[in-house]
Amino acid sequence: MSLGARVGAAATAPLRALAAALDPAMRGWQRLAGRGGMIGLFLLPNLAIFTIFVLVPIGLNVAYSMTGGAQVFLADRPFVGGEQYARLLECENHLRPRTCRDDTFWTAVWNTARFVVLQVGLMTGAALVTALILNRSLPAKGFWRAVFFFPVLLSPVVVGLIWRWILQRQGLANLVMVEGGLEPVNWLVDRFWAFAAAVGVSVWAHLGFYALILLAGLQAIPKDLYEAAEMDGTRPWRVFRRITLPLLTPNLAVVVVLALIRAVQIFDEAYVLTGGGPGTATMFLTQYIYETGFASPVRNPGLAAAASILMAGVLVVLTLLRLSRQRRAAQR
Amino acid sequence: MGAITLEAISKSFGPVEVIRDVTLEIPEGELCVVVGPSGSGKSTLLRLIAGLDRPTRGRVLIDGADVTARPAADRGLAMVFQSYALYPHMTVRQNLAFGLENSRMARAEIARRIDEAARMLEIDGLLERRPGQLSGGQRQRVAIGRAIVREPVAFLLDEPLSNLDAELRGAMRAEIAALHRRLGRTMIHVTHDQIEAMTLADRIVVLRDGRVEQVDAPLDLFNRPANRFVAGFIGAPSMNFLTLPVPGPGGAVTLGVRPQHLRLVERGLTVRVEAAENLGAETLVHGTTVTGERLTALLPGQLRPRAGERLVLGHDPADEHRFDTDGRRVG
Repeated sequence: MSLGARVGAAATAPLRALAAALDPAMRGWQRLAGRGGMIGLFLLPNLAIFTIFVLVPIGLNVAYSMTGGAQVFLADRPFVGGEQYARLLECENHLRPRTCRDDTFWTAVWNTARFVVLQVGLMTGAALVTALILNRSLPAKGFWRAVFFFPVLLSPVVVGLIWRWILQRQGLANLVMVEGGLEPVNWLVDRFWAFAAAVGVSVWAHLGFYALILLAGLQAIPKDLYEAAEMDGTRPWRVFRRITLPLLTPNLAVVVVLALIRAVQIFDEAYVLTGGGPGTATMFLTQYIYETGFASPVRNPGLAAAASILMAGVLVVLTLLRLSRQRRAAQR
Repeated sequence: MGAITLEAISKSFGPVEVIRDVTLEIPEGELCVVVGPSGSGKSTLLRLIAGLDRPTRGRVLIDGADVTARPAADRGLAMVFQSYALYPHMTVRQNLAFGLENSRMARAEIARRIDEAARMLEIDGLLERRPGQLSGGQRQRVAIGRAIVREPVAFLLDEPLSNLDAELRGAMRAEIAALHRRLGRTMIHVTHDQIEAMTLADRIVVLRDGRVEQVDAPLDLFNRPANRFVAGFIGAPSMNFLTLPVPGPGGAVTLGVRPQHLRLVERGLTVRVEAAENLGAETLVHGTTVTGERLTALLPGQLRPRAGERLVLGHDPADEHRFDTDGRRVG
């Protein structure tokens, strides 16, 4: 036996001993449970982790949403059935939060809806344009890719802090504007600008990630297709519309689904940037859940749990809709 | 229409010169096959003619007009790509129509051209399918169809058969030849497969390291290779090269004999058999001469020489090729 083989045998000896020790038990289980049982056995560790960290918390959340009071332990909380859901959903006119039993919830719902539409739309468009530019033969291409990807590496809290320093009354943005002879703007005090800042900062922070997904998609489109189009004298806009865009659809769908889920969950960078203000102008659903359950003077974990269940339901529906559309498109 | 002239064309990518001073005239209606080993510059040459790349030096002329600076779409050429380059999200009909729609052609004319090409290539039953639902041979036909509907002055085919299996390749070869006869248009076909070159071409251009080694009709290329490279590249199995004991007339130092031209004789070159491959009708014998040079012989019949056995081989002097120290043909 060569030296290499001997070293290899010695290094794998513990593993072989373990396999030999487990072998009778595994064979016994296979005889007892068959092939399906073996598959189940191998899936068990992952399933256990999934159960402990996902399924049990979801179950607990559902249980909390049907209880009332401010107590933390489930056993101490009185059962109230669907009361928390009723409190959240009861409204004279859902489009006017003030007519709702819990007006803050509906303010947060509509703020989140506006945020999702604007952020996902802007994000997808900006990521697409960025990916198209980065896909061209630019000088220092690697550097530009890094520049766009860099914000993704930052913690959301850091992102929020950086932009708060830039946008606060005495911040960098106003300094530059005043130096340029312009009137300073109350970026984080004005309702419109604060909301715009929350959208803009979120787009800036995550753009690189989505641009990278689209860039990978663009690079997977065979160059031959573009050369065939060039031979046919196809104009650039038609090449984009008829070749690039359809072939990029699977990547775009991934971007939209991921951006959608992330936008609905918007919390940290917006919370650090605006704290939900001015007033409730940038109060989003996750902040509402956090404050209702943990930060408000009168905590209501049941209400927070009910709101989070509703939010999860909306996310599941949106994702399923998007995926079924994508599946239909792929079948076509 | 469709005469293509290359005047002293060169192409460099950075410091690497891929095409070196190529001058070539391809008359109207000719099926010209460009052949050469990998990296010889075949595809680059085709792309220069197509207009997908610009030459570093030299000119490209089509029917006498200088098109060197003209975009690919304005050269009146159509290209069939090695990968077929069919748009995967479009049906066959949409693939065929795409290029014509760019020129704002009337719908009726587009439909007429598609129907005609589809009938010619027998793909009329596949028009509503997508490329992913087609076999390799069907995709190949669609790719050719896309070129045909443009009614170009010349067709450029970049290794169009290389993705097909051997049987289908043979069938498609015959179809391309038939198509060339029917359309009568100039075709430039790039391949690394010398059988494809020999069977299809009116003339073959042999390229090596971006230089033209020889341009000739297939049999002339086989019978009178201009140099040792062409002699070794054209013909399968490759030609045998033996060093002459003393330089011959014209400074010949190498003797070339094709394996097919060797036969068993009573007096001649003694060869020690290393291996024999029985091909059914013929036997391919690999061996070494007494001076240690490798030699291959394609002998008729089902011989069963054993390794180590000695055979005596000879050839007709008319089948000899002689090359000088630079590899040039001298006799």
